[in-house]
Amino acid sequence: MPECDNPLWPCAMTGAAACLAGFDGLAVVIHGSSGCYYYPMTLLHAPLHGTFILEDDVIFGSEDRLMEVIGSLSGTGKKIAVITTCVPALLGEDIRSMLADHDVILVDSPGFAGDVETGYQKALAMLDPRTDPAAPGVNIDGACLFDPFAAGNVQEVRRLLGMVSVPVATVFSSDLLGRVYHAAPFTIGTNADFPSGVGDYLGGMLGFGAIRETFARLGDSFGNADCTPVFSELEQQEERVVRACDKFLRRYDPPSAAIFAGCSYALFAAEALHTYLDAEICCIGTRNTPCESRFPVEETSSLSRVRDLIVSHNPDLVIGSSFERSLHERGGFAGIIPPLRGRVKIYPAPLAGINGMLSFMESVLNTCMDTKP
Amino acid sequence: MSSNPLPANSSRLGGCTLTGAISVTSHVRDTVTVVHGPKGCSHHNVSLLHASWLEDDRAVLPELLSSGLSEKDVIFGGEEALRRTIGVAATKEGVRAVLVLSTCVVGSIGDDVTSVCSEEYGVPVVPISSAGFLGGTFQDGMNNALVALAGTASPCDTNRSVNIIGEMNLEYEVEENYREVERLLALLNLPVNIRFVHNTGWEELSRLGAAELNILRGPALVPVGEYLKERFDTPFIASFPQGLSGTLSFVREVAAFFGIDGQAALREECRRQEEMLDQFSDLRRVPVSLERVHSGEDELLAAEELAAALDLVMGTPGTCAKLPVNAAVGTSGTKRMLHRWRRAVHA
Repeated sequence: MPECDNPLWPCAMTGAAACLAGFDGLAVVIHGSSGCYYYPMTLLHAPLHGTFILEDDVIFGSEDRLMEVIGSLSGTGKKIAVITTCVPALLGEDIRSMLADHDVILVDSPGFAGDVETGYQKALAMLDPRTDPAAPGVNIDGACLFDPFAAGNVQEVRRLLGMVSVPVATVFSSDLLGRVYHAAPFTIGTNADFPSGVGDYLGGMLGFGAIRETFARLGDSFGNADCTPVFSELEQQEERVVRACDKFLRRYDPPSAAIFAGCSYALFAAEALHTYLDAEICCIGTRNTPCESRFPVEETSSLSRVRDLIVSHNPDLVIGSSFERSLHERGGFAGIIPPLRGRVKIYPAPLAGINGMLSFMESVLNTCMDTKP
Repeated sequence: MSSNPLPANSSRLGGCTLTGAISVTSHVRDTVTVVHGPKGCSHHNVSLLHASWLEDDRAVLPELLSSGLSEKDVIFGGEEALRRTIGVAATKEGVRAVLVLSTCVVGSIGDDVTSVCSEEYGVPVVPISSAGFLGGTFQDGMNNALVALAGTASPCDTNRSVNIIGEMNLEYEVEENYREVERLLALLNLPVNIRFVHNTGWEELSRLGAAELNILRGPALVPVGEYLKERFDTPFIASFPQGLSGTLSFVREVAAFFGIDGQAALREECRRQEEMLDQFSDLRRVPVSLERVHSGEDELLAAEELAAALDLVMGTPGTCAKLPVNAAVGTSGTKRMLHRWRRAVHA
């Protein structure tokens, strides 16, 4: 069914902007109308430029306007990246030829081309990242400006890598542009929905099990890395989670949970709730293409389907965005994906790493206790 | 915003007709808004409405149904997708009408939206011109939606009441501004007929012609006011009141229109304003400057009048507190702005 009520996930253009705007040294131009510009501008909280085309540009061609904006940015010392939106993509103009005389990266990622992940991948591919065998340390990927936990995730993974004295190489996509071309040969991930595909992937950082496995591989790959401090902290903090959850279970039944997120975060939440709270995972609705899971999972991109799932399962706990919270006002809720409206969020909380797990379980336990009769 | 828009190109910043139109149609209860275009366009607006409605303590989301145009539809045409989507919308439970908006993608590929909307679906289907930026600006989208909705209502008997026209539904303080105008009207014993539109039922729209006076949210809505005057013979006041003297003038103008003796109401409002100024007498003689960059001319005039009434000293920008200036509706809005001024003086 192509029609979709209240679509819950942004378009490919937004994904491309989220990727490129994370790199310092890039001036990102959205080639389209002001309407297409405002949404990523307000969502990503990053500097973006726009061509703000008008009807005349559609009729007579948008080249002059595009050149005007590129010309104004050419003295900034930043490399320019242009993202096409729907209408310029439909006009049939040869934008690549227009830009032939300029050192500009062109990302053809109109909104109708797909969802946010599609655009992110297209944009990252156009940057053409490369590994440098001499680059020390390990890359971090999965940091997308669209993700409200991205900054916290990177901070947390930096902290853990610091504990084992492994330097951080390139962060995709939150780094200096130049580092894209000198990435290390190894990468660890914070959100598998936004992979870089750069270097050998050592594993993810979502959940204690994944962190343990990833650091074991890290230790194998970096002969001089002593991962004992991380394993030790893992053990201590997992014990704290176990104690807190055990205390909850002495008094309350395990919650039933409905989870709505991108695949990566959804599976992290499901495994954590099942492992530590013996929670019943009623359903997982993924915003993107579903991944394999031992829990019931389906792609859920419209609000009506989310509503159907919540009504039919009547869960104690809903994990998702403030869209889901609006449908489950009186029940427990923990937010892990955008939008997270109606709440003040200033501190860069993580979902990845040890502190990410602690933060997630803390919010789950608190909301479950707050909503118990 | 670092967009390098040249001054001559300031119209480029006018926003999207679709968002303007949705800010209206999403406030008509018992209807579904169909957005004919890619899903991303609807998501942008759902997200915006979600944020704005949560600020307004309304958890329920509006019904926006996207035709979900894909790359294939863009190549071969999207009319069938629109037909199917209107059909789905029309059969939803409790739906009294379907409001159809288009996007710039549809404007580019040339779908005949009006023709598809004229087919039989069992409920009224109202096409609204909103082809993204190809249709104009945010304000054009808003005006087009209001005019299209007004076109569904017929002239009817009038009563001694007032319509509120074109509230800015995405405005953070939309409810407070409405309540202030309602309060000022109550000083003259005048009720509000309908809010056109803010959380308004589809059936209520039929009462649009019943008021004897329309009050527009702002001068940008004059084309809508003119349309309503022509269709229902209802005159209008072009803006909500701003600032101290603007509020008194508003009361005077409405009283004169209805032939009411407004002296008691004016005395009451003057007393209220004097009490308010007394509460902020600690700001007297404080050196300040006004934030002029994003302020309109009327807003600045009202702010300058207020600064003079408080005996503030205009200092050199950068060396003194910079006071925020916004469209302060009525005396209550002015009071809220004064609290922000005091905050600016303190921090």
